[in-house]
Amino acid sequence: MRNVYIVSASMIKVDRYFNKSYKELVLNALTKILDEGSIEHIDYTVVSTLLSDSILHQLDLSTVLTQYLGLNPISSLRVETGESSGLAAIELGFSLIASGKADSVLVVGVEKLTEYPTNIINENYSKILDYEIETIRNISPPDYAALIMKEYMKRYKIKREELTIWPIKMHDNALRNPHAQLRFRVDMNKVLNSITIAEPIKLLDTFPIGDGSAIILLGSERVLRRSNSECMKITYITSSTSQPIYLRDDILEFTALRKAFKTLYEGSRLDLEETLLEIHDSYSIYAYLILEELGIAPRGKVPNIVDELGNVNLSGGLKARGHPFGATGIYQVAEAYSILSDKGLGELKYNGRYGLIHSMSGPDYNSRLCLIEKVM
Amino acid sequence: MRFLWVIPVDTSSELGKGVGIVGWGVYIPIWRVRAVEIAKMWGFSEELTKSLWIEEKAVAGEDEDTVTMGWYAAKAAIERSGIDPNHIGAVFVGTESKPYAVKPSATIIADALMDSNMKSASDIEFACRAGGEGIRNSIALVASGMAKYALVIGSDTAQANPGDVLELTASSGAAAYVIGPAQESVAVFEGSTVYVTDTPDFWRRDCSPYPQHGEIFTGEPAYFHHIVSAAKLLFEELGLKPSDFDYAVFHQPNGKFPLQVGRMLGFPKEKILPGIVTPWIGNTYNGSALIGLAKVLEEAKPGSRILVVTFGSGAGSDAFSIIVKEGIEERVKRGPKVIDFLKRKKYVSYGEYAKNRRIITKIE
Repeated sequence: MRNVYIVSASMIKVDRYFNKSYKELVLNALTKILDEGSIEHIDYTVVSTLLSDSILHQLDLSTVLTQYLGLNPISSLRVETGESSGLAAIELGFSLIASGKADSVLVVGVEKLTEYPTNIINENYSKILDYEIETIRNISPPDYAALIMKEYMKRYKIKREELTIWPIKMHDNALRNPHAQLRFRVDMNKVLNSITIAEPIKLLDTFPIGDGSAIILLGSERVLRRSNSECMKITYITSSTSQPIYLRDDILEFTALRKAFKTLYEGSRLDLEETLLEIHDSYSIYAYLILEELGIAPRGKVPNIVDELGNVNLSGGLKARGHPFGATGIYQVAEAYSILSDKGLGELKYNGRYGLIHSMSGPDYNSRLCLIEKVM
Repeated sequence: MRFLWVIPVDTSSELGKGVGIVGWGVYIPIWRVRAVEIAKMWGFSEELTKSLWIEEKAVAGEDEDTVTMGWYAAKAAIERSGIDPNHIGAVFVGTESKPYAVKPSATIIADALMDSNMKSASDIEFACRAGGEGIRNSIALVASGMAKYALVIGSDTAQANPGDVLELTASSGAAAYVIGPAQESVAVFEGSTVYVTDTPDFWRRDCSPYPQHGEIFTGEPAYFHHIVSAAKLLFEELGLKPSDFDYAVFHQPNGKFPLQVGRMLGFPKEKILPGIVTPWIGNTYNGSALIGLAKVLEEAKPGSRILVVTFGSGAGSDAFSIIVKEGIEERVKRGPKVIDFLKRKKYVSYGEYAKNRRIITKIE
């Protein structure tokens, strides 16, 4: 298997772009990479988007975007695996290079959600679950998050107030991320007094709706040698799936993540304390469960150690950076790459060698992990 | 593109050149529905009513509509002005809830108030800012000499899709202003600006009983953008800044937005709160900013400068700078005050409100 490197990364602020089309968002993100002169040749564009069919009324987005960007004639593909589409696109780009099929892959994430009001977005977002069994019965992702949160509070005797620590920390972190959508502080009362999404989940326990585009240029060893920018190696990328909620023995366990992490850990012997972590905190309760699956703290104890975590979601996470569905995984990798780089991301810098990125869809219906490493 | 219209007014000597407010009146129905009751009915959380700052809304009774409420407000405005209504040369009704889709409300109200038929009369539709447009037109008519006085009414029995978040605030009420020469006025227009774009943030298609809206799109690119733009144009034209104003009155779809837009423009809360009425009567649409202005006029001292900025979806804003003159206190006393209407209330249940507003109807 050939080595795969991140040659360049770029993103725009996650925001509500009422006056821009999705194409302009991608173009704005791409301009930075073009300005850096990182691109000499591209073999493939891999495009990740979750709702382009229903919200943008556009199928085959990868071809349309490749044409719009003037990159044709090259191969293009679209990837969609629910909320983890972005990381799946990187996994595909990785495979194309690792297998020798391509030398250079442009992985583009884009989501434009402000075209429609929230109820339309939520209706379509809910289709990441099994439509015939779950969505048609009006079950939506926050409903599951609410069930899981209630069970978590009951089993570990944790008060609702204690679980506000995650959004508080994420909003604090986002203040230093220039690309974050929600750059303001919140406190316990603000979280508890925000609108109820699905009892006991509050508005400030979950991600805001926003638009975004993030792009990563992946390259082989050959591309790395010709590049002037700081490159990082994708050491490992893996994924798994799990049972739907209604077939699980224990709804507080994320087995897809567990399986993916086991595979990755056996291959890398990673020390998580020294690693920059970006996790998929679509609902604050999921952050606690993810960190438990990664073994950061014993079950039911994560809320006690959140304050001490100096290496998790420095970006502000989905909670405060935002969650433009199909672009999110690519934002996470682009941020980890930038934060680990010598230049840093704005004021954000992390003095370490590894970055581990986690992305998932729904309550761990699929989970993906990507380990990146500074090239020493 | 900019549309500017500024009347230079010297408040000390050349009052004859200007145009001002000769009288005003409001009407707020006695009936109130509590916002939490609507929230409970449709499964909204109580936090939502708090975050929007809406406590209760005024709703028209079953024998009230835009015309009856507009008439009450106009009658009070004429009485407060002390003029002969037959000298009114133009009547404008700003509304988006007229009882007749085709047939002017303005003629019904005008004929009920005056004998003279030598007047122009029309209804103006521009969502919640048609009243503002009416004031602009009236200033032009009076300044040009085409009319001695003009009567502007903003009146609505605001519609909202039952169960839509809009239902928490959409309410009923009216305000009316007699616009006339500055020397007869107790408040004069120092200048005005307008800012209009094609922004589809809120609309009602033909034959549709209720309006639709673009949710958050009604905020940033609509309400905030237009109000801020119109106000900044006014500051620029008159060479004024927020600290030059004693009061700021904005269109108020809820209690939160006017405070937020005031903050964006640099107004402290204390200058905005006197004109806030929506938390207790709801968003009266065309009456919204104009009832707020009436409340401020009823407590302002001579020499005070008031900023008024309307907003109507679709979208546009008018900004007015108004200077209060001597004699205002005496004119305040000539009619019922906003505060009287705020105190005069009786609560109805959701069911009674639904019946009175014909949200539920009996087949006869």
